Amino acid sequence: MHRLRIICFLLAGSLARDAIAIIPGDTVIAIEQVEVAATGIFDRETAGMKQQRVDSTVLLEKIQRSLSDVLSENSTVFIKNYGRGALATASFRGTAASHTGVIWNGMSISSPMAGMVDFSLIPVYIIDELTMNHGPSSLLYKGGGLGGSISLENVPEWSRGFGAEYIQGIGSYGTFDEYLKLGAGNRKLRSTTRLYHNYSKNDFTFVNTAIGNLDPLTGEVTHPLDTNQNAVILRYGLLQELYFRPGENHLVSLVYWGQFADRTLPSPSSYEGPSNANLNNQTDADHRVVLSWKYYYGKGRFLLRSGYAHKELEYLQLNRIPGLGEVPSIFSVSRQNSLSGTASYTWEPVAGLTMEGKLDINMHGVESMDTISGAGYDRSRNEMAFLGRVSKSLGSRLNLNLMMRQEWVEGKRLPVMPFFGADLKIADHPELVLKANISRNYRYPSVNELYWVPGGNPELLPEEGISMEAGLECRETFGTHSLKTGLTAYRTDVRNWILWLPSVWGFWEPFNIERVLSRGMEAEATYRWHPGNFDLRVAGTYAYTRSENRGESSILGNDSFGKQLVYIPVHSGNLMLRVAWKKIYAVYQYNAYSERFTTSSNDPTRRDWLYPYFMNDLSFGAIFSIGDAELSAGLKIFNLLNESYYSVLYRPMPGRNYHFVIGIRL
Amino acid sequence: MNRTRMTGLVLLWLLLLPRCMQDEDLWQFDRLNTSLAQEGVFVINEGNFTYGNASVSFYDPATGEVLNDVFYQTNALPLGDVAFSMTLSDSLGYVVVNNSGRIYVMNTSTFRYTGKITGLTSPRYMHIISDEKAYVTDLYTRAVTVVNPKTLEVTGSIDVSNGDTRFNQHTTEQMVQYDRYVFTNCWSYDNKILVIDTDRDEITDSISVLKQPNSLVLDRQHNLWILCDGGYEGSPYGSEEGGLMVVPAGKREARLVCRFAPGESPSGLTTDGSREFLYFLNGGVYRMSIYRDTVPELLVDGPENPFGMGFYGLTVDPSSSEIYVSDAIDFVQRGLVYRFDPGGVPLDTFRAGIVPRSFCFKPARAL
Repeated sequence: MHRLRIICFLLAGSLARDAIAIIPGDTVIAIEQVEVAATGIFDRETAGMKQQRVDSTVLLEKIQRSLSDVLSENSTVFIKNYGRGALATASFRGTAASHTGVIWNGMSISSPMAGMVDFSLIPVYIIDELTMNHGPSSLLYKGGGLGGSISLENVPEWSRGFGAEYIQGIGSYGTFDEYLKLGAGNRKLRSTTRLYHNYSKNDFTFVNTAIGNLDPLTGEVTHPLDTNQNAVILRYGLLQELYFRPGENHLVSLVYWGQFADRTLPSPSSYEGPSNANLNNQTDADHRVVLSWKYYYGKGRFLLRSGYAHKELEYLQLNRIPGLGEVPSIFSVSRQNSLSGTASYTWEPVAGLTMEGKLDINMHGVESMDTISGAGYDRSRNEMAFLGRVSKSLGSRLNLNLMMRQEWVEGKRLPVMPFFGADLKIADHPELVLKANISRNYRYPSVNELYWVPGGNPELLPEEGISMEAGLECRETFGTHSLKTGLTAYRTDVRNWILWLPSVWGFWEPFNIERVLSRGMEAEATYRWHPGNFDLRVAGTYAYTRSENRGESSILGNDSFGKQLVYIPVHSGNLMLRVAWKKIYAVYQYNAYSERFTTSSNDPTRRDWLYPYFMNDLSFGAIFSIGDAELSAGLKIFNLLNESYYSVLYRPMPGRNYHFVIGIRL
Repeated sequence: MNRTRMTGLVLLWLLLLPRCMQDEDLWQFDRLNTSLAQEGVFVINEGNFTYGNASVSFYDPATGEVLNDVFYQTNALPLGDVAFSMTLSDSLGYVVVNNSGRIYVMNTSTFRYTGKITGLTSPRYMHIISDEKAYVTDLYTRAVTVVNPKTLEVTGSIDVSNGDTRFNQHTTEQMVQYDRYVFTNCWSYDNKILVIDTDRDEITDSISVLKQPNSLVLDRQHNLWILCDGGYEGSPYGSEEGGLMVVPAGKREARLVCRFAPGESPSGLTTDGSREFLYFLNGGVYRMSIYRDTVPELLVDGPENPFGMGFYGLTVDPSSSEIYVSDAIDFVQRGLVYRFDPGGVPLDTFRAGIVPRSFCFKPARAL
């Protein structure tokens, strides 16, 4: 019984991980073995919330890749990808990129300046646990995630003594990546260090249909075979974790993540200017550190956390002009500093009741300047948030969850953000749970939206989202088979949706003009069959997303009313199939989106339309043991069918390409 | 379910799932094959920056018929990224595609692609001086590029840099010609009109005006009219109220004609066929006589919508003096073009491409 309770605790989600930390070592091993089952589906503290955890085998399989790849291939989150290694933004449930929050070890890492995250800059190397908080469940962590939020966590491996791991990857288009992980410690103190380096020349070739040459003989238009030039990606970083357990019920952790990325972005594929013109370069330097102390006693849990984030982003655009040399046309430099503090107390006064009070304080400083024109701003922003939560179990079949979030930004009080959720257990075998919630959420405009020079609009109102959802989750294990499925329907009504439009002055300016109604369904299923040496895993997701513009219908000539938002597919889905026999495995990954429109009126014009996307990847490999060492080798084939395609208009993507990986683990 | 059946199902699924993407649909379709002798109006639709969705529409005022995206539909070739302007020379149309660094040349009756001028950094407008010489203004090179419209080669460049790295001066925009002098306005963070001698291909003079001159025209008496928006509030270059200025024929000094209110951003200065009336946008369409016996009068009200800025492009038919204005609506859908008679009475409305801004009139010609 004791073990069962521990397991339930583990399954409870993020807070449960704190529990692992204080349980003596032998039970930890037992817990790690049941880890496959992933998140629990009936838990008081997350009643009514939809949280999906990405399976650890997926993270392991895709360790050299970016979070954007994992999200697009293994979740219902839609990723808009501007090219291989280039900007990737995430959209949850048909909302905008700024509506997806990102939480790293409890701290928000969304840029206060842009209000969003470039998911191509988050390597899978640094993630131990990846959880998607769909829709209003993000209110547990932060307000403003009208679509949801993504939590990235690091977890100590207490049961491991010294451990070392090195992975080397070599791939097409001059791609090299190196990853080293070192861990050491005992049951009281543990340190893990990860170092990584990714480089890709990214010089794939493609038939450039955006350029037409006239054949002098036939008069026919031909397209050149072009190379994706000026597209180098460089990214390296360090993740250092320190965990300390001074006593049975204390856990202190200090995690630092530093990263530098240097990318050049190719010109539009139609560019036929001089080769020394329209050159650009973007560097992103990030430092993030989180210190936290968790204390468990009797019926309470206490958490103190403090974080600091620094980001420096430089964007340079230049032309080499004869006689003048290198002439920069844009050199934009921005610095962002954020300091955050959290204090939380969770109390279980009686069995079946949990209460939590949490206070977050964030201070941001943003400086941004284009040194060529001199346009820029320097702003600071203070935020405070209070979260009150009561979770109650009524009998053994009903859990209720009530949250109230109150936020203040720049001295202004936002309206209260309430959340009410419930779980009803319909059956035990198979375990079938009905989940539902209703909530209200607000997103305060980002610093750029308010103050960008030129164009920031200080009059902007917060975006308001009212949403409700209901779904069923089911889990069952029968013999060597286990199955977990979920189906959710939601409706999110966002008002004062912020949209950037050109102004009379020629620059863009944001306005609160749209109303967006997003409705849809999400389905997930994972199945595993593991008889003896054979291991089959199948995981798939499907999302139906109707995200409609419900803004002004009275504007003369406006054809956007009732239409799907740009770049949001109505249907999206993916499937992963992994077959392993003893130490040999093969993984097939399939990913598909229906057509996407690039005009608000959903114009069917062929040229402005993105045809349905179907992507097939295949990888296989083997693991060998030599003494204490575990060696692995694998080959990944991306774009198996060698499709030529775009995922954003006129941003070409690579054809079939390969990645060879070898690893050693001690 | 037994193992064989399940394996079979999985295999079937795998066979059904992979499908090919329809990339070839972008160039494999029934093309437009036409030859239009009649006169008409080309609408140049900028499209969205980096989207590569610029286009050209053709409108026949006699029938009200409109053909959209004629270049792509005829040639199965996308026009490119941000089409800025179009200049005619005989039967050829030169479409300046700003962020594609090129000028595409097409036959104005068949819309057939006939060639291109490449190697341009950030081209804005093209002005034809002779059969073998044309100027192309540029946002970034600090030079006016000299091209040969016949051979489609870049033949030279005219340095316009003022040596100041701040604000990247001078950028060059529109061009008008009087005698052998071409006048071009420097809009971005600037306040100059440059005078280029077309015989020597060099700058011979410059005229100081109010901040940010965005458009210029020559009237029938060869006076040069310049519309300045004054820059935006908070600009590091500074800002002031916009104004309409005039440089009398043969002079090199600008005089202020009228001033706009703070917060107003007038644009799109143009003339009618007689070149006796000036038209410009300031939310709505304004008209003014060159003899200045009237103040600018509001001819057409701007569109009432929350999408910011009112009309986006304006032109006046040189033969009929009918007025064309474009409305980009939300800038991410195909915009509207309104046509009015010279008195501002509505005649027709049609849907063009994404972000319609500039126009080009095609005279009738024998094929």
